[in-house]
Amino acid sequence: MKDKVLHRPPDIELFASERPRLDNALTRRIGADPENLERGLAQLVLTIVELLRQLMERQALRRIDAGGLTPEQEERLGVAFLELSRRMEELKDEFGLEDDDLNLNLGPLGNLL
Amino acid sequence: MSTAIAEREVALVDLVDRLLAGGVVLAGEITLSVADVDLVYVSLRALISSVPTAEQGALPRMGSAL
Amino acid sequence: MIELYAIAQRPGPPLPDIAPLRELACGELGAICGTAAEESEITEDALWRHERIVEAVMETRDLLPVRYGTRFAGDEQAVDVVAARSGTLKAALERVRGAVELSFRVRAREPDVSIDVHASLQPLARESMTRPAPDEGELLRAAYLVERDRVPEVRDEVARLQHEHPELSLLLTGPWPPYSFVER
Repeated sequence: MKDKVLHRPPDIELFASERPRLDNALTRRIGADPENLERGLAQLVLTIVELLRQLMERQALRRIDAGGLTPEQEERLGVAFLELSRRMEELKDEFGLEDDDLNLNLGPLGNLL
Repeated sequence: MSTAIAEREVALVDLVDRLLAGGVVLAGEITLSVADVDLVYVSLRALISSVPTAEQGALPRMGSAL
Repeated sequence: MIELYAIAQRPGPPLPDIAPLRELACGELGAICGTAAEESEITEDALWRHERIVEAVMETRDLLPVRYGTRFAGDEQAVDVVAARSGTLKAALERVRGAVELSFRVRAREPDVSIDVHASLQPLARESMTRPAPDEGELLRAAYLVERDRVPEVRDEVARLQHEHPELSLLLTGPWPPYSFVER
């Protein structure tokens, strides 16, 4: 809005040439072009999903071992994790990502996967 | 480009720089459940901030939510 | 879903009626929020609507603006998250107390120009920060945390600098809520 301009130069339109299409503003901020952006984001998201999937799988096994779940719950968990793994493979294929691409380096903890 | 339009555009640039990239960022908490079974409570703040200290054995809270 | 606009100290003056707003009590802090719209739009209108609300509250109160799109399932969730960070948030409020943000951009109208106008404005501000320029034509992109009643002084100094340096193009906008001075 124009009332936010406290001092305008004579050639203010020079500053307006950066007119942000809002998707451009976000792209610039992440520092990637739109095509790479998609793949880069997919990589990031899938890495986190893979981390969570592994955590949940481990947790599910712990709960199953501890015997705190009904047979139905165990069955549902088994099916769900199978589905999750299958879906992860599909997503990796879709974005052309390998297992190696989904590895985060956690510094002193070594690699994630 | 008229001055009025230019002023609106420059103000938008400054606004976007702030609203989308500045301000307080509050992480949320999520409970992850699979097949209606709550499995993992993840505190995003703990996850993001505790990796360097995790080597001391204090892992972020990843217990199961009852 | 609720949308969080800003965080301020309690108690405070009544909220403006520019939009249906509520202030959630989080100890000594208040989380100023409203009902979230159906979708999280990132359109020019939605951004300005949000900004106008934050600025209306800022007219009578110091606050920490929250990043656009910060939402919670309900009051309880919002209160929990804000209360959990109340220490850092209170310190952040102290840092910006009584001050607002001004945006300053400098372009050169001739090649090979290099003048430090930032040095003239820095002393007028409580804090300042510079950002990398998005293109070569921009010499400086800075933000200043300025006492509310010194804003006219900064504006006048920019006008003076512009008059002194016709080879530069100076742009000053604001006052903005202190978006650039809330995180460490």
